[in-house]
Amino acid sequence: MPELLVEKFYKDRKDYFDLTLLNSEAGLKKKITTAEIHRPGLALAGFMDRFANHRIQVLGETEMAYVNQIEHTVLLHMAEKIFGYGIPLMIISKGITPPLDFLQIADKHGTAIFSSRLSTSELTNRLSGYLDVNFAPVITMHGTLVDVYGVGLLYTGKSGIGKSEIALDLVERGHRLVADDVIKVIRKSPDLIVGTGSELLGHHMEIRGIGIIDVEKLFGIRAIRIQKRIEVEVHLTLWSEDLEYERLGIEETETTILGVSIPQVIVPISPGKNITVISEVIAMDHMLKVYGENSAAEFSKRLSERLHRQAMTKDYLESDYE
Amino acid sequence: MTQKTVKVANRLGMHARPSAMFVSHASKFKSEIFLEKDGLKVNGKSIMGVMMLAAEMGSELIIYADGEDEKDAAATLADLISSGFGDLKNL
Repeated sequence: MPELLVEKFYKDRKDYFDLTLLNSEAGLKKKITTAEIHRPGLALAGFMDRFANHRIQVLGETEMAYVNQIEHTVLLHMAEKIFGYGIPLMIISKGITPPLDFLQIADKHGTAIFSSRLSTSELTNRLSGYLDVNFAPVITMHGTLVDVYGVGLLYTGKSGIGKSEIALDLVERGHRLVADDVIKVIRKSPDLIVGTGSELLGHHMEIRGIGIIDVEKLFGIRAIRIQKRIEVEVHLTLWSEDLEYERLGIEETETTILGVSIPQVIVPISPGKNITVISEVIAMDHMLKVYGENSAAEFSKRLSERLHRQAMTKDYLESDYE
Repeated sequence: MTQKTVKVANRLGMHARPSAMFVSHASKFKSEIFLEKDGLKVNGKSIMGVMMLAAEMGSELIIYADGEDEKDAAATLADLISSGFGDLKNL
């Protein structure tokens, strides 16, 4: 399960969230374990059923107005209760500072309280964006990711089948390499996956027979890209007489990566086959489909219409004795 | 699927040469080979992947082999790492 240290959150995004730590640094050792945010209005008022204590707690002007007007003993009791639940951290918006006792009780439970100068809605917006990226599901895959005419093609297939060589050929034709060999795939939203390379590898790749090359140095900045949405998987296999390959393309094959379905094209490799041009066609065909054109379906419709018309004319001609 | 955990034994860790040696040994097997370090799993037949792990001396690696010769593959590759890559011991 992914987690984020409060200290890292604070150090990385102190300015972005306009944060000031109000109590001791002991609270920085706590961990954030979920991307969700909670506004503990009802918990402050004493209703603790379903209190989402594992989430980041955000208090705004209204909550603070309430905290500042309740009786001192009630305040102490309530603070004990809330911090006793072991919340990861608390942020108070609009630069408001809570009563001193409140901070001390948070300290006792080792919970950090931050003040942010942002408005509550701005703060929660920014927080969700940041947390969504940090808690997004991630996997690493073996493959090659290339941006072909703006379409992210993910090449998969056995080691040594020629994924890197295809990428090199595509780069030579003006397309852009995202990553070779190890692809980090992040699900940025429920139906969108983005691929990126590793920091260490950069845009280096291994070409059998040559060794390691640096695509950025060789082809320049236009040949690379840092990240790209993955739109189509191109699965390379060795040509085999026994296997059936797609001949029409009316039915679309799909594959699922991190729960996101994307079209998959299985391309058999055999000597003399130009996979680069096929790749460009896959990318263009995908774009046509995005724009509502399906070549295979259109052709099939045309054929059906022709057959229908021929049958009609035949009937007429056969019954015509003129 | 056969799985083996080993510790990197050579002083300089899995730098370019040991990585290349590992990959060339891995490629001789029919099985699919994966190598994992700290939750990051890469294809054991790909030099870039193996180097990306940047496995230093003493770090723990898990070798996964899946296929007809998986037992032999896992044992040979585990031996290679834990022996400090034979002749490359001092590299």
